[in-house]
Amino acid sequence: MAMALGGGSGGVKCDINVTPMIDVLLVLLIIFMVITPLTPYGLEATAPQPPPPNTPPPPPDKDRTVVIVIAKDGSMKLNQEDIDVTKLQDRLVEVFKTRAERVVFIKGDPDLEFGSVARAIDIAKGAGIDKIGIMTPKIEQGL
Amino acid sequence: MEKKKAPPVVSDINVTPMVDVMLVLLIIFMVITPMLTKGAPVEMVKAKNPIAMQAADKEDAILIAITRDSKVFLSPGNKQVASEDLPGKVRDLLTNRTDKTVYIKADKRAKYEKVEDVIDNLRAAGVDELGLLTEGRNASQAVAN
Repeated sequence: MAMALGGGSGGVKCDINVTPMIDVLLVLLIIFMVITPLTPYGLEATAPQPPPPNTPPPPPDKDRTVVIVIAKDGSMKLNQEDIDVTKLQDRLVEVFKTRAERVVFIKGDPDLEFGSVARAIDIAKGAGIDKIGIMTPKIEQGL
Repeated sequence: MEKKKAPPVVSDINVTPMVDVMLVLLIIFMVITPMLTKGAPVEMVKAKNPIAMQAADKEDAILIAITRDSKVFLSPGNKQVASEDLPGKVRDLLTNRTDKTVYIKADKRAKYEKVEDVIDNLRAAGVDELGLLTEGRNASQAVAN
């Protein structure tokens, strides 16, 4: 034959080269397959229940209860002591080093955003606290 | 008369059907992925020390979503509820259950007042174990702070 262009036996290919497209598609497919079974993560917390009526109030052990108070401007107090957010974890570790029962209560100003309270809970979890009680206005009123 | 020459033999695999199937799969996954998130879509907090909460993914897990504009959604059902109605509804859901954990999925910028309010109402329903859902561990490690 006279017209043998492109050097060859293969003839002119008029198909689009789909291989790169397949590569991209496969990667996208794998990404979506991996994202789908995302396990939820979370922080455990407790909502303290009031003591049942007709029981004597527990003995006051103010020095053993640890409360983190978060003020409106985001500053934190560990019991009465002002503390920087960055130092909170180390301080908590120090306080609970010798204790078996690791309980912390967290009280946040209502005007805060949830994120700042969650950060405090996160820090407390990081310090190895097992139980984190969320103090709400009604608990404080003893309801 | 010259015999007509046969076309050259194509030695490539025909990938077109494979591409078709993969495109369909891709579209299915793209559509399903946003549907799998339970509860109202909220922007969750990034935490450094969360634990895996497999139970929160169950079909009958009690999940309360609090959005940024202080709306409260109760799952299963994903219906918007007033926080005053929560004790009754949650108590109904909790009957005949051993695991009395309720999961709270609050938006990062939700008012803490609303979260407190929800917790108070949950307490009235007899809930004492809460799970505050956050973003996954891997996602949190990617963020420096």
